[in-house]
Amino acid sequence: MTQLLDQTRRVADLALSLGASEARVSLGRNRGVNLGWRDGRIETLEDHTSQGLSVSLFVDGRFSSHSTGDLRPEALEPFLREAVAMTRLLEPDPARSLPDPARYAGRAAVDLDSVDAGYGDVTAERRRDEARALEELTRDAAAALSAARGGPAVEVVSVSTGVGDHRGQSARVHTNGFEGEREGTSFYASASLTLKEADGKRPAGGGFTYRAHRGDLRPLEVVAREAAEEAFGKLGAQKLATGKYTTLVKAEAVGRLLGALLAPLSGGALQQRRSLWEGRLETQIASPLLTLRDDPHVPRGLSSSLWDGDGFATAPRPVIEAGVLKTFLIDDYHAKKMSLERGEPVWATGASLHSLQWDLGPLGFDALVADVRDGVMIDSFLGGNSNATTGELSLGCAGRRIRDGRLAEAVTEVNLSGNLKDLWRQLVAVGADSYPEGASNTPSCVFEGVQLSGV
Amino acid sequence: MSTDHSDHSDHSDHSVAPLDGLQHFGRFGVDAALLRDALGAALGRGGDWADLFFEHSVSQSLSLRDGAVNSAYSGVTLGVGVRVVRGDQTGYAYTEDLSRPAVLSAARSAALIAEGDARGALPPSWNATPHPARYPVAREWSSVPLERKLPLLRQLNEEAFAADPRMVKVEVSLAHSDAVVFLVESSGATHCDRQPMTRVAMSCTAAEGEGPAARRESNSASFAARAGFEFLTPERLTRLREQAVQRTLFLFDAEIAPIGGEVPVVLAAGAAGILLHEAIGHGMEADFNRKNTSIYSDRLHQRIAPKGVTIVDDGTRVGDRGAVNVDDEGVEGQRTVLVEDGVLRSYMHDRISAQHYGVAPTGNGRRESFHHAPVPRMRSTYMTAGEHDPADIIRSVKRGVYAETFTNGQVNIGPGDFTFYIKTGYLIEDGRLTRPIKDTNIIGNGPEVLERTDMVGADFTFDEGGWTCGKAGQSVPVSLGMPTVRVSKITVGGVGG
Repeated sequence: MTQLLDQTRRVADLALSLGASEARVSLGRNRGVNLGWRDGRIETLEDHTSQGLSVSLFVDGRFSSHSTGDLRPEALEPFLREAVAMTRLLEPDPARSLPDPARYAGRAAVDLDSVDAGYGDVTAERRRDEARALEELTRDAAAALSAARGGPAVEVVSVSTGVGDHRGQSARVHTNGFEGEREGTSFYASASLTLKEADGKRPAGGGFTYRAHRGDLRPLEVVAREAAEEAFGKLGAQKLATGKYTTLVKAEAVGRLLGALLAPLSGGALQQRRSLWEGRLETQIASPLLTLRDDPHVPRGLSSSLWDGDGFATAPRPVIEAGVLKTFLIDDYHAKKMSLERGEPVWATGASLHSLQWDLGPLGFDALVADVRDGVMIDSFLGGNSNATTGELSLGCAGRRIRDGRLAEAVTEVNLSGNLKDLWRQLVAVGADSYPEGASNTPSCVFEGVQLSGV
Repeated sequence: MSTDHSDHSDHSDHSVAPLDGLQHFGRFGVDAALLRDALGAALGRGGDWADLFFEHSVSQSLSLRDGAVNSAYSGVTLGVGVRVVRGDQTGYAYTEDLSRPAVLSAARSAALIAEGDARGALPPSWNATPHPARYPVAREWSSVPLERKLPLLRQLNEEAFAADPRMVKVEVSLAHSDAVVFLVESSGATHCDRQPMTRVAMSCTAAEGEGPAARRESNSASFAARAGFEFLTPERLTRLREQAVQRTLFLFDAEIAPIGGEVPVVLAAGAAGILLHEAIGHGMEADFNRKNTSIYSDRLHQRIAPKGVTIVDDGTRVGDRGAVNVDDEGVEGQRTVLVEDGVLRSYMHDRISAQHYGVAPTGNGRRESFHHAPVPRMRSTYMTAGEHDPADIIRSVKRGVYAETFTNGQVNIGPGDFTFYIKTGYLIEDGRLTRPIKDTNIIGNGPEVLERTDMVGADFTFDEGGWTCGKAGQSVPVSLGMPTVRVSKITVGGVGG
């Protein structure tokens, strides 16, 4: 047992001794360094050593949660004592209890490889040298793109880069038998490039890479090129004529639409009657081209985990198969709550998603552009919202017009609108590409007949 | 909706005796020697100046769901952030551990921004700075027992269900916090501020019909202020319930706007201040401008809006969610005129940007917590009242949109493109409000929209909503206000042409 887990157990025991019937305790420690670099020099250097405690209390059928960064023993006991007393004054909720311990069993025997043994090798000089190199590479990429355009050089206003490394440890204890510890490292590098146009507008582009192991970071040249290509892709942006378009959403932007699709699957949305997907399990909610499976055990995955927020052992599972909804994302509390409300059991399916695996299509991004021939490519979303209860969505976006199977002029101040019930049924192609950052692994997606508003 | 005209706001500037920060944090082991040694370590490599930002915050929230107040949260935030500034470079380190070794270690980490020898000596004594008292609290939350709060939430729930038989779910939440922050500057100045916050929110879900054909709608309302228990007046709670219920039921008659494209948009007085916040405000935060990445970087002292348009960022409004006695780097909160009669007069500055521009800081250096270094942030941002009758503004539009309530917005600083999301509003046809609309995003370009602001109403309204602004990974409380305004055209993201 590590010191952190031991400390967590002691807090859980303390909560019980102060009158809690059950308790769920998490304790975490983090250390990190972030270096921000701009136009030839360090702009910010940030260093932290952080700690935090979270406690959920179950007291005589009542529930509350608490957090504190003040872990001094002389502060902790009165804090918990007051928390228990406060909980006693609430109204009871029969759905509030720790999960059935049987659900803790079956933890996969998988090495998630979440710690880079070389974490401590990163020196201040190395961070600085990388940030500087990334600026130079970004400026080089911008110069190359400017030269390729011909005409006067495009003015580069500013280049910012950042590098950082973090290490976190956490332990969790449920007083009915769950114990778990996690340790992970993470590293990132980012670049941002701002250009200036004749009308004073300053289009910007960014690139980043973020991994559990430093050696898995994408090359700095790739990050730099991503930032430069995004910024240059926005030059001369025009407004789009309002209409319905075949719309290619670039892999890196698909997450915005995917998030809107998945959010109403949560137990909270269902129990509060705020889900457009209520009653839609095992029904077609999207195009047959959409298949998503969750794999919580991808080695070195930043969201990989052997257990979820309830302590349930995680396992790979289908989410959507050929457009058919295969699971809701229901946590233990909301499952119990809905069971009581409905008078029939509602199964806690597990609330978290970790690493989504898609059924990819045959065409890469360039081939999709050619295939679309006449339409719009969206590479970024800006603001907007979606209504989880009804499915309506309206999102700001920008990208490029597709003409004759090629990317043409940049378009901006565009708004995508419609309803989630329809949008994912309008999916007509899934790309062979996959956005390499984050846990959604989104490919580029083509939707037909999408309402885009401009002028 | 509350009407709180800017002309009538209470700009109380009476100062009070400074709080004793050292006494408050003394209970956590902080003493004068630690302050001196930490600042000495922070400047040990040649930083120009340094500060220590201690924070101790206690927060609590209660939630009513499904008819019972059956969930609560409490939290304690405690820690210190050490900042070292050299020119426009910042070294920052923080820790939750206020023990001497941990604080000195953080100071030494922040010091690494500089490379050289220690410069100058620390002053011989600390000088507590008095500041205005803009968060009057009649009744501290610490004196209000839980039993007193629960019935308020239950009553709102019962009234919401009684208001309409279509109501199926109601949630009510009450959150309050009390923070003490203590800033110690290497100049010897110290600042201590006590920062209360209260927020009450209500959301409703209603249903029409049964089974698969049932239609459901959800909406919400919230009020927030730097205040204590007295904020929850019966009148305000009634308005909260009325707004949450009415805004939800309104949606059954509404549809996503049947317009996709550029049309005139009339912004209703009040929460439409989100347009200022997104379209204009962020671009006038001086950090973006000193880096030359804002579309307003070259526009200081130029006309950027028609005459008659005046925009203010104001930390002096008593009790506002965005009010600031003293900002998070020791500068007193101020009323800053950003745009005066159409001319860009000032950016919003922190100390670093003010030094860059050779001007006085404006009290906009804010941070979410000790986990972050301060950066220029908005406080209460609003457009002052104009001369037009709001009814005339609506009558002036042949076909357009009347935007009434909003949920969120976002901006791209460089090009100035911004969005805000209309939750409820109306179509305007032949100068009249006709069909109700909902869930429609609007997208435009900040400078262009400002230039197209061609009618400003006389009905300035301050919004009491619990707005929170996100920037650079930090969230801070802000306020908004606006008179009724006409923008001659913006892209409305509805359906249809």
